[in-house]
Amino acid sequence: MTLKRKGSTLLYYAVAIAVAIVALVPFVWMVSTSLKSRGALMSIPIEWIPEEPTLDAYRTVFERFPFLRTVGNSLFISVTYTLITLLSASMAAFAFAKIRFRGSGVLLGLYLATMMIPTQVTMIPLFVVMNQIGLINHYSSVILPSIFRPFAVFMLVQQMRTIPGDYLDAARVDGASTFRIYRQVMLPLCAPTLATLAVTTFMESWNDYLWPLLMLTDRTKMTLPIALSTLNGQYNTEYNVLMAGSLISMIPIVLIYVFAQKYFQNGIIAGGIKG
Amino acid sequence: MVPKTKRVKHRRSQEGLLHAFPFLLPSLLGLLVFSALPLVISAFISLTDWNGLDELLAPGMFQEHFVGLDNYKNIFASKEFWQVLRNTCYYIVLYIPLMLITSLAVAQLLAKKRRGVTVFRVIYYIPVLTSWVAASLIWKSVLSPQYGALNNLLALVGIEGPGWLLDETWAMPAIVLVSVWKDMGFFGLILLSGMVSINPSYYEAASLDGAGAWSKFFRITLPLMSPVIFYVLIVSLINAFQLFPQIMIMTDGGPNGATQVMVERIYKYGFRYYRMGYASAFSWILFVIIMICTFIQMKCQKRWVNYDT
Amino acid sequence: MRRNKKWISLIACLMVFILALSACTAADTSESTDPAPQETQEQGDATQTSDTEPDAGEPVTITYCNFNASGGNEETLQKMYEAFHEQYPNITVEIETIGFDDYFTQMQTRVAGGTAPDCYELNIENFAAYANRGVLAEITGVDLSGIDETALNAFNVDGKQYGLPGNFSNVVLFYNKDLFDQAGIDYPTADWTQEDVQAAAEAIRALGEDIYGYYQPITYNEFYKVAAQYGGSLLNEDKTAFTINSPENLEAAQMMVDRVLVSNVQPTEVQMGGMGDWDLFMSGRLGMMPTGIWTFTTFADGCDFAWDVVVEPGADQKATAFFSNACVINADSENKEAAATWITWLTSSPEASALRIEAGWDLPAVNDEAVLAPYLDITLPENRQAVFDSLDYLVLPPVIEDYSMMSDIIGQKLSAAASGSMTVQEALDEAQSECEAQIPLS
Repeated sequence: MTLKRKGSTLLYYAVAIAVAIVALVPFVWMVSTSLKSRGALMSIPIEWIPEEPTLDAYRTVFERFPFLRTVGNSLFISVTYTLITLLSASMAAFAFAKIRFRGSGVLLGLYLATMMIPTQVTMIPLFVVMNQIGLINHYSSVILPSIFRPFAVFMLVQQMRTIPGDYLDAARVDGASTFRIYRQVMLPLCAPTLATLAVTTFMESWNDYLWPLLMLTDRTKMTLPIALSTLNGQYNTEYNVLMAGSLISMIPIVLIYVFAQKYFQNGIIAGGIKG
Repeated sequence: MVPKTKRVKHRRSQEGLLHAFPFLLPSLLGLLVFSALPLVISAFISLTDWNGLDELLAPGMFQEHFVGLDNYKNIFASKEFWQVLRNTCYYIVLYIPLMLITSLAVAQLLAKKRRGVTVFRVIYYIPVLTSWVAASLIWKSVLSPQYGALNNLLALVGIEGPGWLLDETWAMPAIVLVSVWKDMGFFGLILLSGMVSINPSYYEAASLDGAGAWSKFFRITLPLMSPVIFYVLIVSLINAFQLFPQIMIMTDGGPNGATQVMVERIYKYGFRYYRMGYASAFSWILFVIIMICTFIQMKCQKRWVNYDT
Repeated sequence: MRRNKKWISLIACLMVFILALSACTAADTSESTDPAPQETQEQGDATQTSDTEPDAGEPVTITYCNFNASGGNEETLQKMYEAFHEQYPNITVEIETIGFDDYFTQMQTRVAGGTAPDCYELNIENFAAYANRGVLAEITGVDLSGIDETALNAFNVDGKQYGLPGNFSNVVLFYNKDLFDQAGIDYPTADWTQEDVQAAAEAIRALGEDIYGYYQPITYNEFYKVAAQYGGSLLNEDKTAFTINSPENLEAAQMMVDRVLVSNVQPTEVQMGGMGDWDLFMSGRLGMMPTGIWTFTTFADGCDFAWDVVVEPGADQKATAFFSNACVINADSENKEAAATWITWLTSSPEASALRIEAGWDLPAVNDEAVLAPYLDITLPENRQAVFDSLDYLVLPPVIEDYSMMSDIIGQKLSAAASGSMTVQEALDEAQSECEAQIPLS
C-alpha cells in the first residue's frame, strides 16, 4: 500500500514537473535572450547562458518610455475593466440561468453570436461609433466595452446552471428578493468562477493592444503594450530589447496573479465543498 | 379563447422578463452599442467596394460604392478562400483535441491536494498571463531551426528537428503547439473550477464500490464536468476560427501561404490592400460559418451535457 | 415594493459609477485635448525671449503622428520639435510616435473615422494608396527648393506634391573585411558586378560550414532592384501592364535563387533560422550583404570586426534601392498651413537636418551639400562617400495604387521559389497571372 502510494506520488511529481518545464522553458530562453548583446543573438553554438551578459537591453527599455506612468495607466484601466465585467456579466448570467422569461434562449443565443464576430471587421465601424459618442481619447472608451463581455456571461451561465435550484427555492421561501438571492446566494456560490474570471479578464485587458492603440492617441494615456510596441523599429527588430520589454511588462501581472492566487485557491476549494 | 393554464404561464413569463430586465440592462446596452450597431454597419460595408480610407459617414458614401453581392460572389469563386478555409480547419482539427487533452491533464494535476500544487498552479498559468505578442516573439525565437532552444534540445537526444515555422509542412503544427502551450493553463483552470465543484461524496461512494482512478475519472469526473467541458469546446472553437495574432507575428501567413487563415486574410484585405468591402464580406462569411458550427454544438449538447447534478 | 427599491438602488449605484467614471476621464482629457490656456501662456514666454521672430500668428496646435522615430529616435524627434517651437512659438505640435507594426492599421482607422491627425508619416508602400484616394492635401505655399529632387518626385502624383520626403535611406554593399582577409581576396570595389560578387562569395563560403558569402533576401524589394540591374522591370513603361515574368526578370530571379539553392553561398530560410540578417552579419559569419544605411550606427556599436561599405554591384547596369517615408497632410485638417510649415521645417531645415545626421537617423533628403558634409566626417564606415555615389543609380519602386498587394503576391511566389517548392519560371508566371487577376491597372 505505502509502496503503491509512493509510486503514485513519484509519478505525480514527474508529470507535474515535466509540464512545468514545458511551460517555463520559453521564459528561460526569454531571460537568456534579453541578457545578450546583439552580436551574440546568432552565435554558433547557441549560448544558453550568455557568455557576456549585459543589461543594455533593459537600459534601452527604461530609456525609451516613461515606465511608471504607463504601468499606472494599464493598472487603472485593467482594474476598472475587470470590476465592471464581473458586475455586469454576473448580473446577466443570473438572469439567464435562474430567471425564467420569454425569449431567454433567443437572447442568450444573441449574446453568444456576438462572440463569433471577428473583431477586425467591426473595428472601423466601432471606431466611428465611439467617435460619434465622443469617447475617443478617454479612458472610458477602453473601459466601457467591459459592460458587454459575452465570454464572461457564458462562462457564468454555465456555472450557475450547475447550482441546484434548491438553494434558491429555500431563499425564496424565506422571502428574499431576486436581488438578494443574486447577491447573497448566487455570488458566493460562484466565487471560484468569479475569481477565475477576474484573473482572465484582468489579463486580457492588461495585454490588449490594438483597441487602446486606436482609442488612446494621447501619449500620456499610453498603456504598457503600446509603449512596448514603440520598441520595434521600421527596419529593425531588436530581439534582446523586445524580450527585455516583454519580461518587464509581465512582472506586474505575474505578481498580481501570485498574490491573488491565495484567495483564488480558497475560493475554488470553498466553492468545491459547498457546490 | 386561450385555455386557462396557458394564460397563467404566459403571465408568469412576462413577470419573469420584468425580473430579468434590470439584471440584463447593462450588458444589453453594451450589446447594442458595441456589438450590434457596428455589425450592422459592417454588413452594409460588405455590400460596397469601400476602400477603408474614405470617410465612412460622408454623405452619399453608400450609394457611390454599392456593388451588391459582388464581394460574396468573388470570394466563393476564388481559389484562395477554399485554401484558407482548409488551413483554418486543419488548425482546428489539430488544436481542439490536443488542447482538451492537455488542459484536462493540467486540471487533473492541479485538482490533487498535494504539496507544491500552488506552485504548479502559478507556473502553468504563466503562459496565459503572457500577451500573444510576447509569446509569439518568444516562440519564434525558440522555434528557430538553427538558433532556437527547441531544436538544440532535440539535438541533445539525437533528433534533428524540422524547420518549424519556416517549413510548409511543419508551420501549422508549430502554430498549434504554441497555441496549446499558451491555452492549456487557461482552459485547465476553467476545467479545474468545474472539477472541484463536484461533490466529494460521489467519489466516496465510488470508492466504496471499489472503482479505480480511471473509472472514477470517466464515470464521475467527466460526466459531471460536462457543462464546463461544453463551455471550453464552444469557446475554443470560436477562438480557433479567429486565430490571428500568433500567425501575424510568427509566420505572417507564410511559408508560401501554408498558414494563411481566415482572419489573417480579413486583416490583410481590410488594412493592407485597402479593400474593406471585400474584407467585410469575408468576415461575414466567417461569422456565419462560426454560427453554424456553434449551433450544431448547441443542438448536440443535449446528448452529452449533464446539467443539474 | 421592497423589491423595486432594491432595483432602483442598484441601478442608481451603476449610474453613479459610470458617471463618476466619465467625469474623471472627462476632467482628464480636458487638460490634454484643450491646451489653449496653457498654450497662450507658453507662447507669451516664448515671444518675450525671441521677439525677433516674424511669425507671430494665432497660436495653433497641430498633431503629428509618425512611426520612424520608434525604435530609438524619439528623443531626436523631440529635440527637433523643440528647435522648431523656438522658431515658431505660435505652432505647438503634439507628437505621437507609434510602433511600425500596427501604425497603418490605426492610421487607416482614424482616417476612415474622420479623426486623422493634422499631419503624419507614411511609408512608400502606403503612400500611393492614400494619395490616390483623396485623403491627403496637396502641399502648397511652402518653399521646397531645399529638398532633393529624386526624393521629392517619389511623392508627386500627377504633378501634385502630396508628401515630403522626411528622411531617406539607400542601400549599399556591406562587407566583412576580416573574412575577405581570411579568404585572401580583394575587397569589393564600386565597379563590381554580380559575377565578381559570386566569386568572392564562394571563396568566403569555403571558409567554414557556418560562414556564408552573401545575403540578399529573396524578397520583393530586392527583386525589383536586381531586375533593374538586368534591365527588367515589374511594369511596362506607362504602368498599364505587368511584366513580371519577362526574360530579364527571370534571369535576375534565377541568379538570386541559385545563390541559395545551387551554390548556397547564401543561407536558405532554414539556415537563417528566422533570425535577422543584421544579426547574421554582426555575428561575423557573413561576407557581404546589401542593406540600408540605417544599419550604420547599430553596426558601428555592435560589430567586433572590421567592415566597410561600397556601392552595390550591378549586372548589365547598376541599380540601387532607395527608401523614403513621406510626411503628409490630412485633407480634412483645419490647420493645413501650420502643418505644412512644420513638415517642411522637419524635412528640409538645416537645424533638423543637423540633428538627424548627428543622431545617425537616416539622411535628410536635402540638396545642400554643406548640410550633408558632417555626415562624411563620422568615422564608421570609412567609405561613407559610397552613400552619395549610390544616389546616381537610384531606382524608384514601381508605385501603384495596390502596391501592398502586388508586393505580397510577388514576395510569396519568390519565397516559394527560394525554398525550392517551385521553379523560378513557375513562380514568376504565377505572380504575373495572379497580379493580372487581382490588380486593375488604370
